[in-house]
Amino acid sequence: MQNNELQNGQKAKLKNRPKNLNLFTIRLPINALVSILHRATGCALFLVLPILLLLLQLSLSSAAHFEMVVSLLRSPFFKLMFLGLAWAFFHHFFAGVRHLAMDVHWMTTLMKARCTSKIVLVLGVLATLILAVQLWA
Amino acid sequence: MITELLTKRYPGMRAWLMQRLTALIMAVYSVMLLLRILVLQPGTYEEFLDFFYPAWFRIASWLFWISLSLHAWLGIRDVFKDYVPNMNVRSVLLKILVVLLWVFIAWASWLFLTK
Repeated sequence: MQNNELQNGQKAKLKNRPKNLNLFTIRLPINALVSILHRATGCALFLVLPILLLLLQLSLSSAAHFEMVVSLLRSPFFKLMFLGLAWAFFHHFFAGVRHLAMDVHWMTTLMKARCTSKIVLVLGVLATLILAVQLWA
Repeated sequence: MITELLTKRYPGMRAWLMQRLTALIMAVYSVMLLLRILVLQPGTYEEFLDFFYPAWFRIASWLFWISLSLHAWLGIRDVFKDYVPNMNVRSVLLKILVVLLWVFIAWASWLFLTK
C-alpha cells in the first residue's frame, strides 16, 4: 500500500517536470545552429529531388522543352527559389566538409569548432551571393 | 580492429562509414559539375546535349545518384529516429522513404543511362 503511494508520488513528480517545447526560448550556440541547418537543408534537398529529376527530364526531351525550362528559371520567382535551394546545397556542402574534417580530427576543440562554424555560415552565404550576382547580371 | 568494426556486428559503424564515403563521392562530383558548367556554359539545347551526352559524365552522374540515395536514406532515417518516437509510424515512414528512393533511382537510371 505504502509502496503504491510512493510510486504514485514518483509518477506525479515525473509528470510535473518542466517540458520546454517553446523552441524560441532556446538560444542555439553557433555550432548547434550549423548542425540543425545541416539537417534542415538535407531534408529540404531530399524533398526537391523529384523536381530536379523532372526539370532534367524536360530539358533533355526536346529543344522546345529545354527553352521552357530556361525561361521558367529566368522568372524572378523561380530565381529566388533556385537561390534558396542553392544556399541549402552550399550550406549542406560546407557543413559536410566540416564534419569530414572533424572525423579526421581537424578543428575539434571548442574554439576551433566555433571558428569553423562561422566559416561554414559565411561560405554558404558568400557562394549564394556570387550565384545571385551571376543570375541577375 | 578497424576491419572488425566494419563487420555486420556493428551496423552503426557501417552506416557511419557509408554516409562519409557517399558524401565524398558527391562532393567530388559536385565540384566537377560546377567546373564543367563554368567551362562549357551550355546555353542552347544542342550545347546542353553535348554537356550531358558523354558516357563518362552520365555514368558519373548515375554513381552520384546512387550515393545520393544511400546518403539520403541514412540521413532521413536518422531524422525519423530522432523525431518519430512511435515505432509503427516510424516503420511506415521508413518504408515510404525506401520506396521513394527506389523510384527516384529508377527514374534517374532511365535519364542518365538510357536517354
